[in-house]
Amino acid sequence: MAGLFTADVENRGLVLDPRTKIAVMLTLVVFALGGTGSDTAAVRAGTVAVSILPMLLLAAARQPGRAAVFTAVYAVMKAAELLLVPKTTGAALSILGMCCMIFVRLMPGLVMGAYMLSSTTVSEFIAAMHRMHVPQQITIPMSVMFRFFPTVLEEFSDINTAMKMRDIRIGGRNAEKIIEYRLVPLMVCSVNIGSELSAAALTRGLGTKVRRTNICSIGFHVQDIAVLTLTAGLYFMWILGMIGVIK
Amino acid sequence: MNDYAAVLQNVSFRYGNSEEGALHELDLKIARGECVLLCGRSGCGKTTVTRLLNGLIPHYYEGELQGDITVSGKSIRDTAIEDLAGIVGSVFQNPRSQFFCVDTTAEIAFGCENMGLPEAEIRSRVDSTVRDMKIEKLLDRSIFKLSGGEKQKIACAGVAAMLPELIVLDEPASNLDLDAIEQLREIIASWKAQGKTIVIAEHRLGWLSGLCSRVIYMESGRIGEDFPGESFFSLDPVRLSSMGLRPVVTDKNYLDTQPGLFQLQPFSSGGNIVLENFRYSYGRKNALDIEHLELPEGSVTAVVGHNGAGKSTFTKCLCGLQRKFRGTAVIGGKRMKPRDMQHCSYMVMQDVNHQLFAETVLEEVMLGADKNSEDKALELQKKLDLLEYKDRHPMSLSGGQKQRTAIASALLAGKQLLVFDEPTSGLDLKSMRAAAGLLYSLRSECTVLIVTHDMELIGQCCTHVLHIENGGIHQQVSLPEK
Repeated sequence: MAGLFTADVENRGLVLDPRTKIAVMLTLVVFALGGTGSDTAAVRAGTVAVSILPMLLLAAARQPGRAAVFTAVYAVMKAAELLLVPKTTGAALSILGMCCMIFVRLMPGLVMGAYMLSSTTVSEFIAAMHRMHVPQQITIPMSVMFRFFPTVLEEFSDINTAMKMRDIRIGGRNAEKIIEYRLVPLMVCSVNIGSELSAAALTRGLGTKVRRTNICSIGFHVQDIAVLTLTAGLYFMWILGMIGVIK
Repeated sequence: MNDYAAVLQNVSFRYGNSEEGALHELDLKIARGECVLLCGRSGCGKTTVTRLLNGLIPHYYEGELQGDITVSGKSIRDTAIEDLAGIVGSVFQNPRSQFFCVDTTAEIAFGCENMGLPEAEIRSRVDSTVRDMKIEKLLDRSIFKLSGGEKQKIACAGVAAMLPELIVLDEPASNLDLDAIEQLREIIASWKAQGKTIVIAEHRLGWLSGLCSRVIYMESGRIGEDFPGESFFSLDPVRLSSMGLRPVVTDKNYLDTQPGLFQLQPFSSGGNIVLENFRYSYGRKNALDIEHLELPEGSVTAVVGHNGAGKSTFTKCLCGLQRKFRGTAVIGGKRMKPRDMQHCSYMVMQDVNHQLFAETVLEEVMLGADKNSEDKALELQKKLDLLEYKDRHPMSLSGGQKQRTAIASALLAGKQLLVFDEPTSGLDLKSMRAAAGLLYSLRSECTVLIVTHDMELIGQCCTHVLHIENGGIHQQVSLPEK
């Protein structure tokens, strides 16, 4: 079950603090996607390092297959950007440039996003929000929402199974109604589950006026410090580049 | 006053979406430390009473409420439901919809976190609850990987960690197998020993014998009779049946299917449905390994076995729903691959809401069939008592009617093999008997397989029992003629 905040706690490998993940995400947006400080050589090298980071984290979270594929794609496209782009012209340049743009600049952020969602549990997420002083009025509805998604997915797969048995499929007799047929039972089941879920939540005291505690132990460990040092280093070099200390 | 955990005085309630009242002028006092069973036919109001005790009525389910309800000296009307959390704990029927976290430890702590207890206190409560309930093995597990019984244990632990005085359970056993029920029984017994007040609404009675000290039989929103535990559990089956209740003692346990025992005959060959090479594994874990199995055409076969024995893998393979499954089946004289099995078999799911798609019952029944088969569709609907509902939306029907709609659609589509997944979980005696009669009558149209833990259902309608354990056939027997 890979999905939103449903990390498999039995087999998750290296665990990072959710706040570290957010920091990496922001750094990727600023440097990889935004191209900040790309006129300084050290920042360019640092950006490559930070761009590969999501793949490494993915590998550390017991998903080596996907990590290897993304790393290979990134390596090829980065090489193409460095070696081929300066030599091409015209239409070839626009196509190649576009591809490099997507895979070199955008992909690391997307991989990081996928890693973030698939490696964090709801409780960790809520604990992190709590530590960052996000108010309870925002975190509680969000936690219930995240809890709701995997259940809806489960329902959806049951409905798909049922449709297979009824021979309702793309290209089948009732193809034009395939969406409608899926939505009606999905909505009915979601409403049922949603209302049972809320009832259960209320009887367990969700929504009391008292401030909620959270026993989920999040905190910065060696791995977090290593990752944060790397990202901080990048910002540091950017500043040095701006004030002209390095080129 | 203080000797009572809960007092209901002259309580009447009508749900907002219903014309009829659910409870009528009910008076009930529950003493501290009592273990009370609420029983009665479906719709007798037992679930409504549990909802009054945990505050879901009137704070969540809206309606017209009269009378006074006091739990632990607090008036339910004036206490917010969240503030009752540390006083009343609730366990519900459906394990799927009472969880908030993805891992078990966080789930057990969830209620305490909501109460804002200090972290150290929560940890010590979780530890002691886990120790009391002997569920150390379930700590730090992913909830999505637990069985129904294990999920129900975690739900109980989450409630127990909040140290409530009153624990309310609404049909906690209806999705569980016999082993899991036995473990639930132990948990409740330990709560009873700790002096907690327990109220259980349940229609499966056997497992509560010797546990409940008081039994309240409810009849259309009123208390029909108030028994001391001992005298209720020794009532004779005829009396129970006249009250619309299931027997306390299940006389036959089909998980113990030795030939010769209650007239069981061994059965291994002579069936004209032949299944071959039914093997399947999830990764490295072997889930199903049946080389050769014969089923008689037109039989009603109960598929039994403990949770995780491979029953659902078996039925999924049989319906051609399991990917990468390579077995074959001979049905109706034709040799079939999984893809063809999908066309000639149909599974009626436990939650039948998943398989009703159309806007009217008639359209639903006609969905997989020829456009010219309307006459036959109407005939089938008549046979299944659906004719008067043919223009209703399937979702507006009752559970039993939905189930019959699904059956009608499968029969019209010419399915030769019908598989039912727990068709009677959560049904009272009358509905269970009606379902059993229906399933038995399907023999003339097709072959029926029923995956079930319901021993009474098997006794009522099955002709054969297939016992699966560890992915293989443990026993296959035929039952005496009905």
